[in-house]
Amino acid sequence: MSWHKQILRVNLTTGSCTTEPLNMEWAEAYLGSRGLGSKYLYEEMDPAADALSAENKVIFATGPLTGTMASTSGRYTVITKGALTGAIACSNSGGKFGGELKNAGYDMLIIEGESDKPVYLHIEDDRVEICDAGDIWGKTVWETEDILAKKYSDPLMRFAGIGQAGENLCRYACVVNDKHRAAGRSGVGAVMGAKKIKTIAIRGTTGTPANNSRTFYDMVNAVNARMTDREEMARDGTLAMIDVTNEFGSLPTRNNRSVRFEGANKLNPEAMHTPNANGHTNLVTNGACFGCTVGCGRICKIDPTHFSVKDRPEYQGASGGLEYEAAYALGSAVGVDDIDAATFAGFVCNEYGMDPISLGGTIAAAMELFDIGAIDESTTGGVKLEFGSAEALCQIAELTGKGEGFGADIAMGSKRLCEKYGHPDLSMTVKGQEFAAYDGRSMQGMGLAYATSNRGACHLRADPYGHDFETTDTPGKAQVVAESQRDVAFIDSSGLCLFPGGCGWGMDDYTELVNGACDGSWDSQETGERIWNLEKLFNLKAGLGKQDDTLPKRILEEPADVGTGKGLVCKLDEMLPEYYQLNGWDAEGVPTKETLGRLKLG
Amino acid sequence: MDISVTLFGGLRHFLPAGSSFNKCNISVDEGSRLDTLLQQLPIPPEKPYIVIINDEKVSREDYADITIQSVDEIVLLPPIKGG
Repeated sequence: MSWHKQILRVNLTTGSCTTEPLNMEWAEAYLGSRGLGSKYLYEEMDPAADALSAENKVIFATGPLTGTMASTSGRYTVITKGALTGAIACSNSGGKFGGELKNAGYDMLIIEGESDKPVYLHIEDDRVEICDAGDIWGKTVWETEDILAKKYSDPLMRFAGIGQAGENLCRYACVVNDKHRAAGRSGVGAVMGAKKIKTIAIRGTTGTPANNSRTFYDMVNAVNARMTDREEMARDGTLAMIDVTNEFGSLPTRNNRSVRFEGANKLNPEAMHTPNANGHTNLVTNGACFGCTVGCGRICKIDPTHFSVKDRPEYQGASGGLEYEAAYALGSAVGVDDIDAATFAGFVCNEYGMDPISLGGTIAAAMELFDIGAIDESTTGGVKLEFGSAEALCQIAELTGKGEGFGADIAMGSKRLCEKYGHPDLSMTVKGQEFAAYDGRSMQGMGLAYATSNRGACHLRADPYGHDFETTDTPGKAQVVAESQRDVAFIDSSGLCLFPGGCGWGMDDYTELVNGACDGSWDSQETGERIWNLEKLFNLKAGLGKQDDTLPKRILEEPADVGTGKGLVCKLDEMLPEYYQLNGWDAEGVPTKETLGRLKLG
Repeated sequence: MDISVTLFGGLRHFLPAGSSFNKCNISVDEGSRLDTLLQQLPIPPEKPYIVIINDEKVSREDYADITIQSVDEIVLLPPIKGG
């Protein structure tokens, strides 16, 4: 078996660090990572508690396959009540931190309570200590990692922590590991900030149980051989999607006023690969997380003569560059076609610890408020916050990271921002979380996936892509969304990445690896459905209901302007009742007693 | 007549020799159907793609019924996912 069967529990109020056995009955029902972490959160906290209170918990959870020799086994999940949404937050990240946590001998780290002064956690296998963070509080993610790496003189030590955005309780602050990988969504970093825990510094040398098996080794090799279509992902990364959605007419542009961006060809993979007029090329190389054989990551450099980094050498090195979601949020969403400016804003997100999707989505909403005159330069501190302004994007991104000036308003997220300035309909959010890079009018299934996502608008909680690119007709979409939500929940709970699913793997490949690592026979649909319903129960107890399973007025009432969905609105009312029915939920979106009984949730 | 076809993503690897970055011109007879044009592209049958003509998605079952016009803008997209 690949679980260590051990949890590390850290109470910041009492200062205690203890280990305890993993509840294996729960592990066999919820697998690990997202699913198992959600079970612990559901059982241990009142979902109605304030996300920023001491009652909330932050759980770093690995899956049984995390840290194993299986491809893409670097994933871990941060589970908490989201500061942005008030819903359950399960933010998944790659890099090398997850494997290190597993190799330190823990399936899960549960952080509870709150400290009265800034601290960080130092873990080396079974040696665990809560340390004073007085000298790193107020530092960026990058500075923090450099200071602690030097202090411990261990180049293999890994870090997952927050920047100033988390300290300042930016509602979409994220947890950044390995300097540019992030558990990005829903404000998990703000919960860390509220607890005054800056970072987790970890080094693990105990190994991972499944790696000792020759049978598992052979299985991994056989499954890897079925990942036959990964060259494009390595070459172009997820950014390849921008040409597809732009042509299809589903690339959200200028706060979803349009679904096609005339500047997309300046942000696409070719723009990243091609030298500019100065001979500078944005892309340096691709990058891979722990155990990954895909390598979708973008490692990029900003043209040193660009206004954003001129005379600022700290930003002129190579770091995590634009992936598709960031290219949308810091590009088309704000109408900016300057790849260096968008890359800079992305660096700032990594440095200060912010979710680029929510940052870009909130700036886009602010730009529309500026455009209609709801705010002006007296509000923004003199920033001309016009759609398309690369200068404004870079300036506001830094102000938000620091929590200064109008950046403090942007740090609220677009829902709170648009409510504050009297135009709540301009917030492109679900459950308070900003849209990802797909428009729910030309991609009707994605509209349903956004509306019903347990963590707020999200492109990674379902897999309606194939069906949406086939047709805009709604029949069949509820089933595709419901079933793929379960599959995704299963994969997220395994410790593996979703992206091999776009490179040749099917659900059978994931299930085979889980069975191999866990000595069992898993049903991905049944396990995923149980996890999905558990998350739903958390949200219901947190006070969310059918009224939150919806989309902004723009998507429901304003037809798409161009593309394959021209003239269409999202027909959510045609899909939602069937979706509830397929899930075994009543007309209000509440799981029935029969459903809870069948899933052993009653 | 020559028809301009644009291929995005990995599909561009299947452009005929001599094509520009992601575009090519395919010669077909006047009155040709879409399926005739698509057969001239060396895309392996196991590679799925979406066809968009003049901003409208075309269903696979209609390929044999659609008559190509010289002014048509034809785009082929790979149905990738994620992001």
